[in-house]
Amino acid sequence: MSGKMNRRSFLKVMGWSSAGAALTGCDMPTTITLEEGKEEVMSYLMPEEYVIPGVGVWYASTCTQCAAGCGIHGRVREGRVLKLEGNPDTAVNNGKLCMMGQAGVQGHYNPDRITTPMVRSGGSLTPVTWHKALGLLEEKLGAISGDRFAWFTGTVSGHQSVLLANHLDAMGSTNHYVHEVVNNAVSRAVNQDMLGEANPRLRLDKAKMIVSFGADFMGASQSPVQYAGQYAKFRTNKERGLLVQIESKMSLTGGSADLWLAIKPGTEAVLALGMANLLLNKIRVSDAGIPSDVRTLINNYDITKVAQITGVAGHRIQRVTQLLSERSPSLVLAGANVEGQAQGYAATATIMMLNHILGNVGKTIESAGEFPFPQLVAKQGGTADLVAFAEAAKAKNLDAVIFHGSNPVYSAPKSLGLAEAMSSIGFKVAISQFPDETTMAADLVLPVDSYLEDWGTQVPADQAEASAIHVQQPLMEKLNAETKGLGDILLTLLKQRRKDEYGQFEDYYAYLRNAFVAMPTSVKNDAKNNDEFWNAALQTGVIKVDAGAKNLQSTVVSVTAPVVDDSAGLTLMPSPRLGLFDGRHANLPWLQEAPDQISKVVWDSWVEMHPDTAAKMGIGNLDLVKVSSAQGSVTLRVVLLKGMHADAVAIPLGQGHEAHGRYAKGLGVNPLQILDATTDNKTGELAMYSTRVTVKRVGPADSLSIVRMGTGAGDSQVGRKLVGTVPVEQVRRTEGT
Amino acid sequence: MSLDNILNHWSDYRKGAEEGGHHDYEHRWAMAINLDLCIGCNACSTACYAENNLAVVGKEKFEKGQAMHWMRIERYWDQQELEHPEQGASFLPMMCQQCGAATCEPVCPVAATYHTPDGLNAQVYNRCIGSRYCSNNCPFRVRYFNFYSYYESSWPEPMEQQLNPDISVRDKGVMEKCTFCMQRIRTVKDKAFMEDRKVKDGEVVPACAQSCPTSAIVFGDTMDDGSMVSKLWKKHQVERGIYQKTKLAKKDADLRGYRIFEELNVDPSVMYLERVREDI
Repeated sequence: MSGKMNRRSFLKVMGWSSAGAALTGCDMPTTITLEEGKEEVMSYLMPEEYVIPGVGVWYASTCTQCAAGCGIHGRVREGRVLKLEGNPDTAVNNGKLCMMGQAGVQGHYNPDRITTPMVRSGGSLTPVTWHKALGLLEEKLGAISGDRFAWFTGTVSGHQSVLLANHLDAMGSTNHYVHEVVNNAVSRAVNQDMLGEANPRLRLDKAKMIVSFGADFMGASQSPVQYAGQYAKFRTNKERGLLVQIESKMSLTGGSADLWLAIKPGTEAVLALGMANLLLNKIRVSDAGIPSDVRTLINNYDITKVAQITGVAGHRIQRVTQLLSERSPSLVLAGANVEGQAQGYAATATIMMLNHILGNVGKTIESAGEFPFPQLVAKQGGTADLVAFAEAAKAKNLDAVIFHGSNPVYSAPKSLGLAEAMSSIGFKVAISQFPDETTMAADLVLPVDSYLEDWGTQVPADQAEASAIHVQQPLMEKLNAETKGLGDILLTLLKQRRKDEYGQFEDYYAYLRNAFVAMPTSVKNDAKNNDEFWNAALQTGVIKVDAGAKNLQSTVVSVTAPVVDDSAGLTLMPSPRLGLFDGRHANLPWLQEAPDQISKVVWDSWVEMHPDTAAKMGIGNLDLVKVSSAQGSVTLRVVLLKGMHADAVAIPLGQGHEAHGRYAKGLGVNPLQILDATTDNKTGELAMYSTRVTVKRVGPADSLSIVRMGTGAGDSQVGRKLVGTVPVEQVRRTEGT
Repeated sequence: MSLDNILNHWSDYRKGAEEGGHHDYEHRWAMAINLDLCIGCNACSTACYAENNLAVVGKEKFEKGQAMHWMRIERYWDQQELEHPEQGASFLPMMCQQCGAATCEPVCPVAATYHTPDGLNAQVYNRCIGSRYCSNNCPFRVRYFNFYSYYESSWPEPMEQQLNPDISVRDKGVMEKCTFCMQRIRTVKDKAFMEDRKVKDGEVVPACAQSCPTSAIVFGDTMDDGSMVSKLWKKHQVERGIYQKTKLAKKDADLRGYRIFEELNVDPSVMYLERVREDI
């Protein structure tokens, strides 16, 4: 339906306001704006022929709720966007969308959105006009150049990323801090060294068996919808895929495993070495390409020793390893709990080595090719930049910082001292949609459009089979007249510095259209002219690009022997969930009210413990406990969960906001605050999964203070056939799979 | 549906269309949910909130069981005797099963809940007086009562702009539940009528099935023999209106298809496919 729609006329009917003026520059004959009231506004009683009151029309755009960059279709009716669905034309999500994507409309229509620029005066933020705000920005940034200026963002890609890089260049700075709490930075470093590509294409759908060391690929991962789609194929293949999940805290993915094994936190690399030992020495798989020092290391880890260190039964290790050697190709994955160790790089590399030994590289791990527009490729973040940023701030090396799409004041552990160091940054600008912690600490706040009001392009870091640029376009008129698009703000900043180069672009829309027109014909398919290409890109929401074919290298890097902390104590898993994610979605009530997938708690924080561990400490279900690390403590309720290793406790991320609007503020606790500032020695990433904590009971159980969905009868099916289970052999017989 | 009518036609009413029951169906919408693909991620549930104007009730009212999640994911732990759940969790998407012989229908004193020619169990909001008998009688606990008016609390300005204008926002005192996205069915049926053709398989997709990242939910018309859902029901020998005893004798017991609480003979329109587990 959208294919027949003329987009410009559509905008006209909607009474395009601020961007309307810009459209004149693009052959738009007349522009009607409600504010100007110059011409009669079209009534819905006499709609243009293609607008039927009461009939929704779907427009393509791109989701930015996480960095995965899924394509979306937004249902627009009477000028309002009502519902989001996956765009079937984008290979990344194939028409599907996760709960965070579904809740995108709640961010757009959020009652706590920032609606006007604000400047700090006398300690509080007071509204100012854009004119004043931009004047102040020009004055402050004009006095600074070089590395004393910085950008601090979440993952950025596409043309916004190009403008941002150019702005940094114009400022003479090289400081772009990219921070994501939920990241795979260590894996990227390992992949780069072992495979020659940071983001190879994972093919879960081609694997006959997956062994995941805590990789929550269907939950809080880099592309949850994509991997869930691949998982569905993995399970429905002629030979049904087998999933073994080995972790210290049951993740969403772990919930779907055929075999879930609890492992002592921090010993995953030991298990991988033990499995390598079995493969090489017992099953006699070739050890080609393994450096001699690693070969020696592997030989040191016999099954008895490994079982004793990891707490995983020897017969389990043997069976899983045996199956891995039989079911080829397989796939072995390392998750955030492995990456986030003090020796995260070495641990991740050790696990990835199993893919080399099993010959999976090139089969279930493919090259993503060479993306033809390197400047558009996603700049992915991690926590190393957060640490570096905190250091720079503490050393008073920064005079001005612009924040966007990241909330470091919330997500930095107290031990980094970032909250205090923020005051030593001369001028802090937040380009922000919500009054989150970082925004509230800023000196100048610029209200930004929601992603449903803004132009842009997104390039997913985890590309699916066909590489693509995803197009983001406004699905409706701005909700608040005073917000501006990120691209528009970037362009304004650039014009302040490089008028000659950027003066020709009236706004970001013009820039983007120009950039599309300038793209090589290879991506324009059969479009007869530039208009046709532009319209096609907006209609489908996707520009397919040919990333070519490449072969991955498969090398094994030297790894050191894993250091296992034998001291007694509990390891804290600050676990992100699909939903509130890293805390950015705590202001979306649908996600607050959606029960946690594993513990089924709503609107709260809680700590997950194994019943045996709790019993030893005299702690019962729903008791109030104090979880203390060397850096501080949090007080919250216990939820007993058998999907935990006895030496691990888990606190979900996302709550504990001191700001971020009415739905987020004052709920639960933020476990990130009490993490040690230990970093991985190779990559500098925060070792988020290495903090030791103690748990102490401070209050009795109180079922009213923590709310869970349907947890009667100990979550048992009590003999009823609610979720039926059949063994795979039976299905092979009846369904032939 | 007067009392006389109910008493006179009781046995007819309890029979499915297949056994000569009184229904004259146009469609019989149904689902097939593959639990081997359900990963419990909540995408369906959130999509349902977005599509169906479901109110967010907040922590306190959630605790009292007043949450409005028409589509919810239940999570069960099996093998509770083990130290760890070695088989993972068991996830169950649960929504109104649109029973063919629904226990909620005959108890409504005002016939606010009735059976549509589409085989759906519909709720007439304007007729509902809030007796909650239906909810009390539902074996699946999938009927949700508006104990309060949530308009102000759930959709503070400008959140109300997101509301789907195709369906109403229910007010206090009214029972509500999953409708199989009735508004989507109606749109498609209207379109097919205007184009003088039958509704095609796959044309109606409820919000939950649309969103599901693993495509675990298949929706369609069991009166259309060519539909995917019909094929799945047939393949797994799950039939409407066939009572438990007859069925067990006929059925290949090894097939994965089943309906929950089949022994109650409420004839649900949702077939689940058992989760497959490989014991290693």
